[in-house]
This record gives sequence, C-alpha cells and structure tokens, in this order.
Amino acid sequence: MRLDRLRRYGNTAALYLVLAGISVVSVLPFVWIILSSFKPHEELYSKELTFLPHHYTWANYSTMFERMVGFDYYYRNSILVSFGTVILTLFAGSLAAYALARFRFKGDQAVFVVFLATIMVPGEVGLIGQYELLSTYGLLNTLTGLTLSYTAFNLALTIFIMRSVFATVPQELLDAARVDGCSWWETFWQVMIPMGASGLAAAGTLVFLNAWNEFIFALTMNNWTDEARTLTVGIQLLQGQWQHWDYGVLFSSVMLSFLPVIILFLLLQKTFMRGLTAGAVKG
Amino acid sequence: MSAAGDERVSRRRRWRGLDNPYAFLLPAVLIFGMFALYPILRSLFLSFFQYEFLRPEDLHWVGWANYGEIFRDERVTGWPGIVTPEQPLSVWEVLCYPLLVVWLSINSPGGAFWNTIRFTVMYVPAAILLPLLLAVLVERAGRLSTLFRTLNFIPIVVSVAVVSIIWMWIYHPEYGVINTLLRGFVGEKADYTWLSDSKLAMPAIAAMAVWHGLGFNMLLYLVGLQRIPSELAEAARVDGASGWKAFRFVTLPLLKPTMFLVGLLATIGALKVFGQMFIMTQGGPGDSTLSIVLYLYNVAFRYGKFRFGYASALAWALAAFIFLVTLVAFRLTRERER
Repeated sequence: MRLDRLRRYGNTAALYLVLAGISVVSVLPFVWIILSSFKPHEELYSKELTFLPHHYTWANYSTMFERMVGFDYYYRNSILVSFGTVILTLFAGSLAAYALARFRFKGDQAVFVVFLATIMVPGEVGLIGQYELLSTYGLLNTLTGLTLSYTAFNLALTIFIMRSVFATVPQELLDAARVDGCSWWETFWQVMIPMGASGLAAAGTLVFLNAWNEFIFALTMNNWTDEARTLTVGIQLLQGQWQHWDYGVLFSSVMLSFLPVIILFLLLQKTFMRGLTAGAVKG
Repeated sequence: MSAAGDERVSRRRRWRGLDNPYAFLLPAVLIFGMFALYPILRSLFLSFFQYEFLRPEDLHWVGWANYGEIFRDERVTGWPGIVTPEQPLSVWEVLCYPLLVVWLSINSPGGAFWNTIRFTVMYVPAAILLPLLLAVLVERAGRLSTLFRTLNFIPIVVSVAVVSIIWMWIYHPEYGVINTLLRGFVGEKADYTWLSDSKLAMPAIAAMAVWHGLGFNMLLYLVGLQRIPSELAEAARVDGASGWKAFRFVTLPLLKPTMFLVGLLATIGALKVFGQMFIMTQGGPGDSTLSIVLYLYNVAFRYGKFRFGYASALAWALAAFIFLVTLVAFRLTRERER
C-alpha cells in the first residue's frame, strides 16, 4: 500500500517535470528576448551566453525611442487597423448572422453557401485581385484599404460563428420582444447582442489576432511608406536594419510588439481559446 | 393588445423599410462582395490572361497557358522539371506514387512545389504527435493543468513575423542560443549556420513552425479529450487495463476525429507557408526554402515584371491542390470508418 502511494507520487512528479520542461521551451524565447532587451551591447555580443543580464540598462529602449525609425507609426497603424477590423467585422458580421440565423427569405441558402465556400478558399488567392482593386481606388498604403480587406476576409468566419450562436437564442425571447413592440432592428440590439455577448467576444478576439498578426496582405498592400506600415511588416523591416549593428535595439522593439498581445491573452485567456477553437472548426 | 401598444407599433412602421433581413445582410454583402469575393474571382479571371500589372494595355487571353507554364517552370517543379508520361500510368506506377512523393521530398529536386511538400512532410507528423502527447499530459496535471495550458499557448498569439525574428536570433551562428548550447557539448565545432545552409534551413524553419503551433494544436486535442466521457477510461481501468492500454484502446480511437482535424489544418497551413521563409531566408540559400506562396509573391511583386496573370495561376493552382488534398483526406477517413 505504501509502495503504491510512493509510486503514484513519483509518477506525478515525473509528469510535472516533463510538463515544466515543455512549458519552459514554449515560453523561454520570449523571456529571453525581454531579458536581453535590458542587456548592454557588450553582453549581447559576447561568446559567453548569459540568461539574466549582468548589468541592467535602459540604453536599448532610449536608443529605440530616440531614433524611432517609424516604430511609432507601425504601432499606431496596427492598433487602428486591428480595432477598426474588429468593430467593422463584428457589426457587419453579426447583423448578417442574425439575418441568416433568424429569417427565412429568398436566397438565404445561396448567400450562406457563398460565405461558407470562401472560408475554404485560401486568402492568398485574393492577394493579386485585391492589390489591383485597391490600387484602382487609391486605397493602397491607406489604413482604410487594409481595414476593409481584413474585414472582408474575416467576415465569412465571423458570420459562421455568430450564426450558430444566434441560432441558440430561445425563440420565446424574440417573441416577447416582438410583443413589446420592438422592431427586428431593436430586437437585434436588445436581445441578440446581449445574448450573444460571449460569442461576440470570442469571435472578436479571433478577428483581432488575425488582423494584428496578419503578414502577407500588409506586406503587399501597405509597404511603401512608414505612415502605412503595420507592426508585422515594420518589425521585419527594422530587423533588416538593426540586426547588423544592434541586436539590443531590435530586441526592445520586438519585445514591445509582442508584449501587449501576450498580456491581453493572459487577461482574456478563456475568450481567446474559445475564439481560436471556434475558428479552427471552420474546416 | 392595448391602444398604446398599437400606437407604438405603428410609429415604428416608418422603419419597416430597414427592418428586413436584406437590410441586415447589406453591409456584410457589400464589404465581402467587393473586397473578398471580387478579388478572388478577379484572380481566377486573370489566371487565364497574359497580364503584367505595369503594362495593362497588353492584356490578352491565353487559355490554360499560365497553368501549363507552372509544370514547365523549373523554379516550381525543380530541375529538370517533372517528366510527364507519354501513355497512361500503370496501376503499379499509380500505387507507387505516394512513395515517389516521399522519396522526392527527401531527395528533393528543389523548386517551390517540392520545397513546400518537403516542409509539409517535416511539419505535419510532428504537428500531429507532439501536441497530442502534450495535451494528454496537460489533462492529467490536475490543478496545474490550466497553468501549463496557458504557458504553452503563448507562442500562438504572437505573429509569425515576430516569432521568425526571435528564432533568427536563436539560430544565429555566433551569438545564437542553439549554437552556444551545442558548443558546451561538442566544443568549437558547433558553428552550424542554420539558416544559410541549404540542408539545414528547411528543417530549422519546420522545427520553429512546430514550436509555434504546439499550443494551438494542444488546445484542439484538449477540446477533443473533454468530449470523451471519463467513465469510459475508468471502466477500462476497472476491467484491468493499464494506463497505457486505456489510452491506446479507449482514448486514442475516440480522438481520431481530432487528429484528423489537427492534421488537416496543419497540412493546409503548411502548404500555404510564406512568412517564415520570407523573413528568415528569403527563399535561400539558393532556392532551397522557396515555398509556393513565396514564389508567387515574388512573381507578382518582386521580380520586376509584376506578372499578375502567371501569379494568379500559381495561386489558383495551389488552391486547387489544397482542395484536392482535403477531398482525398476526407475520402480516406470516411472509407476507414466504414
């Protein structure tokens, strides 16, 4: 009996040890970047590897903020484009999902099938047509252009998620709102949105992550001026400039670009995970 | 209904025009139609035309010529290109085809298509198995499972661009973590130039991709594991099955749909790989890490001629290939389930 318990403790300890090892591998690169961004130049460029900085310094950050080289623009653009995309996608997407989940009308199946079909088509296919379209309307290198194309490519998925969320709202609630004299439009705001709030939050985080981390469209559409670049494209550019003369400065900008998302994730874990799994089931 | 209620309803009649499903669909349909559906169809249209963006006056129909060019393009199919057979293939040759793909992806003739296949073959098995292992361990961690889940999930919320930059430094031949650690074991010989060695570059990128996707695939497995009623595993244990046996004969068969989902998503993602190569190697050294999407991006925007017609054909050919893979995958699993 005692031996059995001992074995069980041993197993648990081994389990935790393995898990801790894997988790360290997952997190270490980020921790290392954060720590390294506080290391002075000489320490980064020494053959001897250090984990904790021997000397802490703000020098990398002050150099970065002095020179900036567009970093402030990239940051602002990423925030504007991501939040713009989230708001626009959630608004247009949930309104459409409401129509598709709650009404029978001519062509409802057709509309839904078209939306569904484009989920299967890889976005890269639209890249060239998109570039041509935006250039025709002078939307290349504008935040509006990028926001609209992100919105368009996230809509189908949002509609797909929100449609199934709205379909579970009990019909009695809608009937009650109707009896109270609500129009469908008011029903949408007063019944559907509050009832679907957690679904909206999940879809919202998914869209936010997609927009914040998107690379190939941003690279193609918004890569002529610093005023138009987003973080993913900008940071890749900074890497090209800085890797040869100062890794420390590069680390400080890399760290500033991933920290907000990680913090946001740690605060809203459940929503993030729900959003990402909902997005995965699209296939 | 009271008179007051009637009055309120009629006051709202004015909004009737906006109060119908078509109006609710309008914003989404407009944005989606203009900025997603139109570009996709426009690419399809352009793929049948000789069209360079800088010379729009020279737009003319070429039929399937752009698609034909893909098969003759050395940078896609590898030198000297795939030899197209004269007569229909025999059954044996068709049966050997999967082996041929494996052989070619190891002894890759180069070219964007084979590079992409090579990446997929390296990435997908690891992306199916490692997260499964992790998920099973995390599930058993009891109170700490949330902590481990969270920690392992962190990489996936960070973009490919940022992760690639971090790993360029990890792979750095002089100051990189990996070489520094290796020097501790094998001494000064460890001066691997990971990303500028045509043999090591692709495995290095694939390893990073596995690390990056670990948490997400783990989450999919955890969702799958939660769907399995815990009584089943307990029943197996009561029947005298060891932990491993319970996993092998109860959990694993029930996880098959999840494994299929993870594998399919990983395959689709791997076939579309772009950012990692664009940032870390630019397709080099030589063309050893040139992926299909990277090549089509270069054809469209980098090589100077802005060949939108050919690039569109490449994009649509890739989409068709992904669709085919998906279809075959669904067929195969459905047959096995019968």
